Amino acid sequence: MSPFRRALLGLAAAGVGFGLLDATLTATSDFILLPGLWVAMTLWLGWGFIGVGLFAWARRPDNRVGALMAATGFAWFLGALGFSDTPLLFTVGQMLGSVFFVAGVHLLLAFPTGRLRSSFDRRLVTVGYLLTTIGVLPLWLFAEPRDLGCDNCPHNVFLIQANSSVVDVYGLLINVVALVIIVVVAVSLVRRWRDATEAERRFVVPVYAAGVALMVAVFVSIGVQTTGTGDTVAEIAFIAALIPFGLVPWLFLATLVRSRMIQGGAVGQLIARLGEAPPRGEMREALSRALRDPSLELLYWIPDDRRYVDARGHAVDLPDPGTGRTVSPVEREGRPVAAIVHDASLLEDPELVRTAGAAAALALENERLDAELRAKVEELRESRARMLRAGLEDRRALERNLHDGAQQRLVSMALNLRLARSKLRDDPVAAEVLIDGAGSELDEALAELRELARGIHPAVLTERGLAPALATLAGRAPLPVEVIGDPGADLSEAQELAAYFVVSEALTNVAKYAHASQAVVNLGRENGRLVVEVADDGVGGADPKRGTGLQGLADRLAAVDGRLEVDSPQGRGTTVRARIPCG
Amino acid sequence: MARTVLIVDDHPSFRSSARMLLESEGFDVIGEAEDGAGALTAVAELHPQLVLLDVQLPDMDGFQVAARLTANGNCPLVILVSSRGIEDIGPLAARSGALGFIPKAELSGEALEALLP
Repeated sequence: MSPFRRALLGLAAAGVGFGLLDATLTATSDFILLPGLWVAMTLWLGWGFIGVGLFAWARRPDNRVGALMAATGFAWFLGALGFSDTPLLFTVGQMLGSVFFVAGVHLLLAFPTGRLRSSFDRRLVTVGYLLTTIGVLPLWLFAEPRDLGCDNCPHNVFLIQANSSVVDVYGLLINVVALVIIVVVAVSLVRRWRDATEAERRFVVPVYAAGVALMVAVFVSIGVQTTGTGDTVAEIAFIAALIPFGLVPWLFLATLVRSRMIQGGAVGQLIARLGEAPPRGEMREALSRALRDPSLELLYWIPDDRRYVDARGHAVDLPDPGTGRTVSPVEREGRPVAAIVHDASLLEDPELVRTAGAAAALALENERLDAELRAKVEELRESRARMLRAGLEDRRALERNLHDGAQQRLVSMALNLRLARSKLRDDPVAAEVLIDGAGSELDEALAELRELARGIHPAVLTERGLAPALATLAGRAPLPVEVIGDPGADLSEAQELAAYFVVSEALTNVAKYAHASQAVVNLGRENGRLVVEVADDGVGGADPKRGTGLQGLADRLAAVDGRLEVDSPQGRGTTVRARIPCG
Repeated sequence: MARTVLIVDDHPSFRSSARMLLESEGFDVIGEAEDGAGALTAVAELHPQLVLLDVQLPDMDGFQVAARLTANGNCPLVILVSSRGIEDIGPLAARSGALGFIPKAELSGEALEALLP
């Protein structure tokens, strides 16, 4: 048995012992009017909260609701010591008799996660605990129960001097503060009910009931304190008011059982529906009904891209923690298939979501294939638009380069030649200098035109093939580049061109950004695909999402059903890898 | 007395060639500018009689510069130049307030004089 389970059993034993002690003290009390009723109420309420609380705690150790519920039960037993005839137990019990109210408020506000949601809630609960422990201490320095109408009560062990005026004023003050807290809690609960999602409401029904019960109990408690403990009617009224509060753990338990039964049935219906082979696209509806979450969404895993898409194939981000939405992945034979995005309150029963997901895995796999196809179509559409834009941009860049480069040089050359002609007779030396200058401009213009032509289409590729073209690229690079491997001879012109531009762009990036000392171009075949890899020993940190160069390459590769991978850890070089289907 | 000229072009090679050509043909090149803002400043400071203005400048196009230079009465004569042909530029040049347009490769003192009043 785990230490956690042992600890829970220890707490259960302590709860049983504490309850029996309280029952004995209550049954033998000299000052309460209805000992039998109080014994029954004490045990029913204390053991109810502790028993259900420990059960819930064992079932969901990460959720604090169970612990808070058990703590409320122990706080109740602590207050019940106030029925004792022993002065010390009587005084401590009476003094701490309202702590269980605050524990109950804590439980309500922390429902259903077990954690208080806001700093305001934390402050409210802290004030409550302080008020019902340290806050009531001054009262018990001046309160003598016998002077306040309880003739058979033991004496107050903390008494310094009996003073009924101080007790009345201080008691009234505490009651007013307690009423304010109760009103604030009630308003907060109403707001939460109003804002709750449909899935959440299933779990907050007992919480709401508890809130009403607690308010009634507090009001009656205040009435009893005002009229004195000797009033049988007030005592019965107080006990009656505690009954709904005592129902809280049982309501909670009933909700859990009911929800499991209903949802278990719904999962059964889901499985039956799956047996009828529902049309594709109806899984969201079926799962939404099974899990009773109208906001449920389905996402499908695209293994090639390692991301989720929606049913239309659009990439989507998973919800962040704290948004009230959460994700339960669905796997089939160990592979991710889909993800159910649902209301976070469904995690109260994670097994249910897993069961429904597992039941739907096969149908979801079929829908996943549809979504994958749509994602591909979407990707192609985007890629086509990007290539169109890139084509226009290339043409603009080409026009700019021609205009700023070769065209300017030719203009300058034309002017210089005209000037040279005018000087040919009078100043032949100057004319010679001008003609030399024109010759240099012509050489530069030719070099620029060659470079531009190569950018449009590398002639060496058409004339001599991919391997010599890549060797030429490597030779022109401003750093040592080794070309390894053989691309093979069964590639189409489009495939060769894609491979060539991968190497060309990658080597340009190496020269511009990588600060590398060398690079290696590796060519090979893998599963019927040409794999072109350019690796450098530079600074790494290349991000394919930034800049248009790598994205343009990915689009160019996509046009021949190829894929681009970039591996560029910071400080450890960059590897750009293209996989191009052959044949 | 030689006409004073300001050459506005972002390509140094053209400015240099045009200066040599125009000076050899009797013009007085009193300044150069490489963009539109520089052209406006240089005109205000140097008061050239003629501005040889490239159509394509880094900060604004030559038509805008021509329009601003010719907006008031006491303005220099503006002649647009470009490495593009007259079929692309001609109609726009007329609307900009410029006196005319000469393709860069055809620039000469004679071509300029033909446009000047």
